Amino acid sequence: MKLSEQYNRASIIITLGILLFAGVFYYAVISYISNNELDRDLTEEFDELKQYVSNYKKLPTPVDFDEDVASFTPIGKLIIPKHFVDTPFVERSSKKSEEGRAIVGTVDIKGINYKVTIAESKEATQYLVQTIGFITIALTALLLTALFFTNRYILNGLWKPFYDLLSRLKSFSIAKSPAYSPKSVAIKADEFRELQEAMDTMAVKARNDYQNLKIFTENASHEMMTPLAVIASKLDTLIQDENLNKEQLEQLYSINLTIGKLSKLSQSLLLLIKIDNRQVNDNDVIDLSLLIDEKLQHFQEIITGKDIQVNIKLTEKKIHMSQYLVEVLLNNLISNAIRHNFKGGQINVTLAGHELVIENTGPEQALDESGIFERFEKSKSSEGMGLGLTIARNICTSYAFQLSYSFQKPFHRFKVRF
Amino acid sequence: MKLLVIEDEPSLREDIKRYFISESIICETGADLKTALEKINLYNYDCIILDIGLPDGDGLKLLEHLKTSGKEEGVLIISARNSLDDRIAGLNFGADDYVVKPFHLAELKARVLAIYRRKAFKGNKLLQYEEISIDLQSMDVRLNEKQVVLTRKEYEMLLYFISNKGKVIAKNVIAEHLWKDDIDLVDNFDFIYTHIKNLRKKLFDFTGKDFIKSVYGIGYKFL
Repeated sequence: MKLSEQYNRASIIITLGILLFAGVFYYAVISYISNNELDRDLTEEFDELKQYVSNYKKLPTPVDFDEDVASFTPIGKLIIPKHFVDTPFVERSSKKSEEGRAIVGTVDIKGINYKVTIAESKEATQYLVQTIGFITIALTALLLTALFFTNRYILNGLWKPFYDLLSRLKSFSIAKSPAYSPKSVAIKADEFRELQEAMDTMAVKARNDYQNLKIFTENASHEMMTPLAVIASKLDTLIQDENLNKEQLEQLYSINLTIGKLSKLSQSLLLLIKIDNRQVNDNDVIDLSLLIDEKLQHFQEIITGKDIQVNIKLTEKKIHMSQYLVEVLLNNLISNAIRHNFKGGQINVTLAGHELVIENTGPEQALDESGIFERFEKSKSSEGMGLGLTIARNICTSYAFQLSYSFQKPFHRFKVRF
Repeated sequence: MKLLVIEDEPSLREDIKRYFISESIICETGADLKTALEKINLYNYDCIILDIGLPDGDGLKLLEHLKTSGKEEGVLIISARNSLDDRIAGLNFGADDYVVKPFHLAELKARVLAIYRRKAFKGNKLLQYEEISIDLQSMDVRLNEKQVVLTRKEYEMLLYFISNKGKVIAKNVIAEHLWKDDIDLVDNFDFIYTHIKNLRKKLFDFTGKDFIKSVYGIGYKFL
């Protein structure tokens, strides 16, 4: 959830709560005050009545009570203590029923007690409460609108530098050659200005560190490759010697293979670093089906050598990616399918829609799906480096493709979703 | 062919020289950029093997110099850095090919000769070796004037052998040349035996000579 949304939500809930509470509170206080007022009126009226009764020793006529409605009931010797009740109030002229307040008490005329009820309309107070309620609602609406617009325009405006910085941070790539341009946009808020400064410093530092690391890696590789090249050339020179016997040559051959592995290993590691750092940025239009055909052609002798039957089903598909990386990807997947196959096995290559599926027969056991894409994870029988699938996976990840593995007897299936 | 090898590592430089030198190849060497510039100003070479990581500067400067002074030497770059940027930079500066360390001398020689043939043969693309004649353009192979059909890999293998005639080449080196980096997919290189056997048989059938000799324990030699 966005910050402004969270803030909006909180401020709206708090505002609504306070206004609701204020409304209830208002209502209670006003009702209380107005009841008091009415009760005072009614008490006065009752006192007047008592005065009248003690003066004239008879009950007054209803006309004497202005707007109020009075009723008298003889109750003998019973005494009802004076109290107030809420009661419906029926206006004499219009017979309309309204809410009312009444005082109930006892008057004594010539030894007979009368229950006296004097009722008064609450209409005036009701009207006041309604008005206040309306004002409260209007105020709430106004406040909410104001809050909404404040949040939307002013708050968003305030946060704009933050979002700008964020988008710059997102598009920041440590490897991209155009230097990170600390374009000092004038930011009013101190916090964001500081953030920008911190970001700029960090970006420059990260770039420099990265450059240094890259230089170090390349130098390290350089330093390692030259001695290897010397060993290789010495071997090439040595094997020309005609006095060497078969055993000696076999030993030299072993060394030769080891050099090949070492060189391949360091090149794979360098390639992994490059892919991870998004350093291979060239973008070519690749005719995938054509390329797959070429690759299978390239491996033809080896496939035939292992008596592997290849079934190809390709529909045309063009993608945008680095020619170099797509070749590495296909090589790794196809060579994997060949390497882990058995003599007389089968390989199915299917390219349809957004999917490339490469299936191969092989060991009758599923591979560990979570582990196979990790560095240096390889089967015991494999002569490979254990980096091929990691490289393939990382290439896919860097292009937001999905590479997945599944086993459906007898096929090991690798699927790339573009 | 006149060849210049610019390489700062002395033993590598000497091994390259020893491997290349023959009755048809003259090989000179230099250890740094300064010597290299002096030499190319004084003499003309058919091909230059250039290590771009030199102690006194970037070897790419030599390429720039060649370009600005209008020289037409073929250049093969050797670099320990296999960064794609380097590859592209080198080729943009006018290098003809690129080899990454560690390399095998057989591979280096095949690449140098390929550059040399492209540059020196110009219109005439016919490569002649004893009874074998190869039209490099149409990839047409004739043995004793008779046309022979070779597979693509057999053709490449034949060219590779001719470039490295008289030298023992390890099996894995031949396989690496034919299948490039992808070759690590095979667990042993004995499978190339089949292909060599086929090529050997074709050569024998048409010329009556056995050109390819097995060197037990390691590989083959083309005579």
